[in-house]
Amino acid sequence: MRRKASLVLLAFAVFFAALAPLVRWYAFPRLAKIPPSEYQTAVLEARPATLLDYATMKPRTVSKVSIVQTLRGNVGAAEKAGKETGRDVVVWDALSYIQGPDGKMVSRIPERYVFDAHSQDPVHAGGEHVDGDAVRREGIEYKWPFLTEKRDYRYFDAQTRTSAPIHYKGTRQFRGLTVYYFEQTIPWTKVPLPKTMPVDGVTPETVRKAGTSRWYTTKRMFWVEPTTGAPVNGQEIHREELRGGTLLGGRDRVAVFSGHVKMREDYIAHTVKMVSSQRQLVLAFTTYLPWGFGVLGAGLLALALLLEARGRREGALGQGVRRRLVNLRPRVPS
Amino acid sequence: MRALAAAAIGLAAALALVFTVTAIGAPGGTTSPKPLLTTVPEHP
Repeated sequence: MRRKASLVLLAFAVFFAALAPLVRWYAFPRLAKIPPSEYQTAVLEARPATLLDYATMKPRTVSKVSIVQTLRGNVGAAEKAGKETGRDVVVWDALSYIQGPDGKMVSRIPERYVFDAHSQDPVHAGGEHVDGDAVRREGIEYKWPFLTEKRDYRYFDAQTRTSAPIHYKGTRQFRGLTVYYFEQTIPWTKVPLPKTMPVDGVTPETVRKAGTSRWYTTKRMFWVEPTTGAPVNGQEIHREELRGGTLLGGRDRVAVFSGHVKMREDYIAHTVKMVSSQRQLVLAFTTYLPWGFGVLGAGLLALALLLEARGRREGALGQGVRRRLVNLRPRVPS
Repeated sequence: MRALAAAAIGLAAALALVFTVTAIGAPGGTTSPKPLLTTVPEHP
């Protein structure tokens, strides 16, 4: 009976011991992915900010400018791009909508971001664009890969439509989470005018025809929770100018926007809460289950060996007793 | 010999479980009907 139990325990020991590496190195890379139907919003604010008044063409200080970012997973487009490329693809339709203190639109930039659901590497399919301009992204945008490393990444800048390094600047504590802090600085660069301008009658063409161009610089900061690769906080010190041409009344440059953009407090709290719970799910596959299964497998193996040893000892003892009993039998002289 | 068979059963069960779970994967879902926002939401 003991020998049978030890065999059952041995089967379970091997089962759990095999599951430990399989969960970590086979299941996790295949199961950890961004769902294609994700919907997320974030609100960032610059308080105060400098905004160009297009009526007077003079910059003025305003109490607040809000940036509303929406990311919506397009499941149909993801399936189509997935069939084209043979990869597990996510397609995010995004909108960065900037609103002045009077509630009027300052800027709206739509984007389509296509990337690998597992690695977050960009996928060049499915009509990736920024403000209607076809782009070819290199590097990441919005989210870092699962199990983010302490190194520089390439990060796509939607304004310049190019990628540049985003530097790992150290590990910090943020609202009870250990996070990696990343920073990217985009130097003054000439960038396209938004397709949708904030004033009726002003179009990118009219500005261009006047010989005026748009320039931009930013310092971008992200606090990234490394297990999930999700940013829990983001800030930008962002400046835009119009330069040259006949629109600026003899000036060589005019500030269009200037401000320190920070994530709104309620969105930080919401993001930290969401990421903390998702972190536990990722940790389950990378740490809790592999270690738990490993320890369980080792324990069951020890128990199986113990039972087997006892079974053999009892078997040997039983044989010894039988032998002695045989020896004790009265010998009948022949 | 019986121990080897027991170990093989355990290994086969682990492989079958992991391959099945990863093959099934997570459900794809549908595109959210919520709009891309053009107003500042009150709360997340």
